[in-house]
Parts: sequence; structure tokens; C-alpha cells
Amino acid sequence: MKYQTPAAALLLLVPLLALGLFPVLADQTVLVSDPYARAVAPGQPNSALFMQIDNGGDQDRALVGAASPVADVVELHTHHMEDGMMKMRRVEQIDLPAGESVSLQPGGLHVMLIGLKQQLRPGEAVALTLTLDDGSELALTAPVRQILPMGQMHGEH
Amino acid sequence: MMSKRMLPIVVALLSVLLVWLIWFWQPQPAVESGLHRQLGLAVEPEGGDFRLQSWRGPVSLSDLRGKLVLIYFGYTWCPDICPTNLAIISLALKQLTASEREQVQALFLSVDPERDSVERLRTFAEYFDPIILGMTGSQRAIADVARRYGVAYRRAEQGDSAMGYTLDHSSYIYVVDRNGRLVDILEHATPAERLVEVIRARLAEG
Repeated sequence: MKYQTPAAALLLLVPLLALGLFPVLADQTVLVSDPYARAVAPGQPNSALFMQIDNGGDQDRALVGAASPVADVVELHTHHMEDGMMKMRRVEQIDLPAGESVSLQPGGLHVMLIGLKQQLRPGEAVALTLTLDDGSELALTAPVRQILPMGQMHGEH
Repeated sequence: MMSKRMLPIVVALLSVLLVWLIWFWQPQPAVESGLHRQLGLAVEPEGGDFRLQSWRGPVSLSDLRGKLVLIYFGYTWCPDICPTNLAIISLALKQLTASEREQVQALFLSVDPERDSVERLRTFAEYFDPIILGMTGSQRAIADVARRYGVAYRRAEQGDSAMGYTLDHSSYIYVVDRNGRLVDILEHATPAERLVEVIRARLAEG
């Protein structure tokens, strides 16, 4: 009966390969955790997405692009304080150094949704595809949350 | 009587003191006080009355006399910084009792009249709390209010972004007491609990 286990494993591989899932599962060193989008007022044209990105590999990577069906344009942005003012600027890429974890969070780096096609309400979810500098893509779903500062959140209902 | 031997020593000490005074003593101004220190400004913001547009029509700060007024300057296209501070204001307002809420008015003053109509401001502000009244005015009127409250803002063209332009802006919550005087300036992302404390302390002043 020993031969059945590898045979079963091979059988499982077929649908995985067919779905294109196998390469993703086998070679995913960059992992996204706790992605979420900011809930916005009706008619609000923009919002932001936040998440933590871990590069568990031994090669430096970078986030170079993002896309989502909920917005016309998706860009990478950051904030910095200068001359007593909060300045928001687009960035070409977000570096993901090997073995490090990068936080996209309120007041700093974020994925910017510009030209929202719908209101983002708490409890809904936003589909997002991230593109890395090696050409690979990460597909994820980010819940919409009412964001309160200092990590306090509510309204995920 | 001072002995003759002491005299040159005293003279020498006084000379040293004089040299030190001339070369090294730099009197510090009296301890900086007040609001300008919080803002890093040379001049204390005077605050004062203003009249701007809202969906209710023109509203003056002096129309709100008798209420404690919280003011935040921002713009609705702001995806993060402004919503964060409005969420703080909203959270603080929710912690007040009904009678306390009646004595408080919050204002969201847009420094982007080009994109922010009074109707847009209404939707945006009331999303956070119906107590928040969105206001704006002509570029000149806004610049005048901003100057008097020590608000820094600047339009920044973003040629490489679909945003087109953004507004760099300082991010503080301004507290105006029931007599119309600017009394507190709270830093960006001040915890809501702190804001509640400030509101209650100012309301207690009567």
C-alpha cells in the first residue's frame, strides 16, 4: 500500500498546477499580514491601505506597484514631517530588505487608492494585487475598517 | 578693614567675572510660555474671529460664542492624516455626555477650496460626527485665518501622481474657549482621552 501516498500527492499536484497555485505556494518568501483599508465617507475619492510586509527570503525585494478594482489608480505613498507640515508624496517603490519586516501604517507608508469607484464601508473587503520588483505578484483581500489612531479600531461589523 | 594682600585678589576675581560676563554670559529669555512654543512659531498665534462658508451659509466663530470650539484644518482629499484627527475628535465627542456635547462645536476648515465645496465638506465632516461643521472660504480668507491660528499649509504639485496636487499642512487641534479665545493647541494624533480631558477642563471654566 506504500505506493498510494506519493500517487495521491501527485494527484493533488495536478489541480494545484492547473490553478497556477503551485508556484505561489512553493516560492513565496514575501508575505503580507493584516492588510486593511480605511473606511471613507460617501463620495470620498481617496483612501489608503495599510499592512505589514515580511521579506523572509535572503534577497532584497521591493514593492513597485499595486492595483485594485475599487480605484482608478493605485499608488505607493509616504508621509513625512517637514517644516512643521505633514507632507504626502508618491514613492517609486517601497524597499523590502531581506529578512526584514516593513510596516505600512497610518502616518507613514501606505498604498493609496485614488479615484474610488465605490464607498468603502466597514465590513466590506478590497481586492488588491501587489507587484514586486522581480515581477511576481501577490493577491490579497483587505477588510475595510474604521481606523482609529494608536491601534484602536472598531466598526468591523 | 580689608588687608592690602586681599585687594589684588579681589580685583583679579572681579576682572575674571567681568571678562566672563562680557564674553560668555548670554542671558536666556524668560521661560517661553504659551502656544507659540508648541507650534515652534516666533509669534504667538492670536486666534480671533473669522467668517467662512458652510452648508448652513456663512458662519462666524463669534456666532458660536458660549460653546467650546475645536478646530482642525485639513482637506477632504487627505487620505490619512485628516481622517486620523477627525476620528480622534469623533471618538472624544462620543465619550461626552449629552449635555457636554451640546456645549461643544467642532469645525473642519478646508484649506483646499478648489476641491472642497461646502456640500462636500458637509458629507465628509458629518461622516465623523454631526457636530463637526465643514467650512471653507476664499483662498484669501483661509490664508488669513490660518495665519492668525499659526497654521502652516502649502499647495504641493504632484506631477508624478494621480492626486494632481496635495496640501502640505500642519496638523493640530485648536481649542477655542467659550469666550472665543484660542486657549489650547493639541498635537497631531493626540489621544482621544487627552482631548476629552481638555474639553472637560475648559467646560468646567464656565
